[in-house]
Amino acid sequence: MKILLMGHPNVGKSVFFNRLTGANVTESNYPGTTVDFTKGYMKIGGEDAELIDVPGTFSLDPKDKAEEVAVAMLHENKDVKVICVIDASKIERGVYLALEILEEGYPMVIALNMWDAAVDKNIRIDINNLQRILGVTVVPTVAISGEGIKELTLRLKEAKPVEIDDIIKNTGGLT
Amino acid sequence: MKLTIDQRWDIIDKIAKQTVTFGEYKHTLKDAIGELTIKPLTGVPIAIAVMYAFWSIFGSFAGTLFTDGFMVKLFDGYFLPWMQDIFPGAGGWLYYIIVGDPLADNCFEAFGMLTSGLFVAIGVVLPAIFIFYLMLALLEDMGYMPRLAVLIDTVLHKIGLHGYAIVPTILSLGCNVPGVTATRILETRKQRFIMMTLLAIFIPCGAQIGIMEEVIPDTMGWVLLYLIIGYFIFGYILNKIVPGKSPEFLIDVPPYRKPMLSNLTKKVWGRIAGFFKVAIPFVLLGCGIVNVLYLAGFIDWVGNVLSPVFVLWFGVPEATAGPLIAAFLRKDLAVAQLSVIEMTPYQMISAVVLVSIYFPCVATFAMMIKEGAKELLGALAVLFAVVFLYGGLIHLIGILMGVA
Amino acid sequence: MEKKLSEMEYEEEGTVTDIEGTLRKKVAGMGIRVGKRLKMITKQPVKGPVVVVVDEANTSLGLDVAEKIIVEMKS
Repeated sequence: MKILLMGHPNVGKSVFFNRLTGANVTESNYPGTTVDFTKGYMKIGGEDAELIDVPGTFSLDPKDKAEEVAVAMLHENKDVKVICVIDASKIERGVYLALEILEEGYPMVIALNMWDAAVDKNIRIDINNLQRILGVTVVPTVAISGEGIKELTLRLKEAKPVEIDDIIKNTGGLT
Repeated sequence: MKLTIDQRWDIIDKIAKQTVTFGEYKHTLKDAIGELTIKPLTGVPIAIAVMYAFWSIFGSFAGTLFTDGFMVKLFDGYFLPWMQDIFPGAGGWLYYIIVGDPLADNCFEAFGMLTSGLFVAIGVVLPAIFIFYLMLALLEDMGYMPRLAVLIDTVLHKIGLHGYAIVPTILSLGCNVPGVTATRILETRKQRFIMMTLLAIFIPCGAQIGIMEEVIPDTMGWVLLYLIIGYFIFGYILNKIVPGKSPEFLIDVPPYRKPMLSNLTKKVWGRIAGFFKVAIPFVLLGCGIVNVLYLAGFIDWVGNVLSPVFVLWFGVPEATAGPLIAAFLRKDLAVAQLSVIEMTPYQMISAVVLVSIYFPCVATFAMMIKEGAKELLGALAVLFAVVFLYGGLIHLIGILMGVA
Repeated sequence: MEKKLSEMEYEEEGTVTDIEGTLRKKVAGMGIRVGKRLKMITKQPVKGPVVVVVDEANTSLGLDVAEKIIVEMKS
């Protein structure tokens, strides 16, 4: 099984990656470019899974070479699960990226990272409601201290594709 | 199903309304510092102070403490005499290549593979690179770089780049190889081309700066000044003649964070390991090749052939031919070699500037091929024009000032 | 009153009312969109970029970009 770790730059994705994988990590060039990405392995329910740390991207409309690689890596791997890492205090633009990936039919779980910073800023997020609307598993995490990482690994198997129509219905329809 | 941008935002709006509540948010000290460092009135002086601190720590830690205080004593006092003593056949060709001058009393003048080669790589360059990357990693992990990018955007715009071009530029001051790689954060081919060309020509690497500080501390300021001026003059010209677009600046400015030790060590170690892999073999090899070429009389021959260009156009002694050949392998090596050639201070400035701009070192060259052969050809064409024009211009300035 | 984002002064706040077509996609990833509130933090001198806060996140935009975003000022 292959898992892609995706998210904006500066959301703590690489700290996340280091927490999830063991020692067997390789850094390589994306073919034909000098954009690096890291690959490692993790165990999910006794099964080996390959975890790829995709370069950070703000959206699936790439604006530089690194973002192009991020999008290409997503598009060439059809049979993967995506962990979408979102900065909990910047949830709107994070969900924007998550929606773009969900629209393309990828199964996903969402990590609401830097949860502690959001709490400090007095931002409260109703996780259960968010899960219900998106139809996707959402786990609050603090990658730096390791909080929530274990739950995320355990719940990775819940990742499944969702119908955008269902999300629209759950929000109460488009205006 | 694909949504339009507006539909996506519509959904997000509704989700946010149903799931997120924003409480009262008090601005913290971190936010205040964040704003102070990005507002021009306070941000620019702070940026200058940060760069100045960076530079002085670099100089005192790497140059004074490590190299002068420890490595020079170790290499000149113990290692060199020991090598000269135990290596058989003093005066023979193998001795010349490996140990160098049997009478030399310091590692800059001996110029053997295992004497000067090891000393330059480990004694001078390693401490310089280490402290450089450590401080850079600190600035990166704290989140200072995007703020610097915002502050310097206006200036870099004039040469067809934008604020984020400060990242490849500063990285190149450590080593040009990762600098070339970092040009990928620029959006268009025009920007990447300008950046790559400028840094290959005008940005001296940490190895070169480290050694300059060691052997020609008095002239280094002038060399750097000429390089910075060249960076902007030729950047301005390139921006005018290279076709393509320079898109606008749009970046995220993340909040400050406390750097994590594990991340810092990983980053610094990764970059140092890269240095060991690339630099040390090339320094030793470079020393060896240059020595062989000297023995074979090749360098004297090149010096003779090119002597009119060197002496009349650039105004430097023809003996600088050897260092210029070595510079293709390692710039630090070339500067060390130049430092023991007899010439006037202004000739030294010209020669070191020439060594810096005349050709990227072989490792940078290889990385540029990887980035795009077509761009490389363009960059080389620019390079030859720049070396000829700028080299001549520096000579002319020297003549006008009456010092050449 | 409506203004271009590039014309806003320090500390002024407002709501985005219009973004030029081609730019919409580009700024979407940064969370900037029609209907969003933003606050100007700094303007760099000599036609430099502006820095705005959107949802407590700082984003810097070049002046050419800022000219294509229209903001209804908070009165």
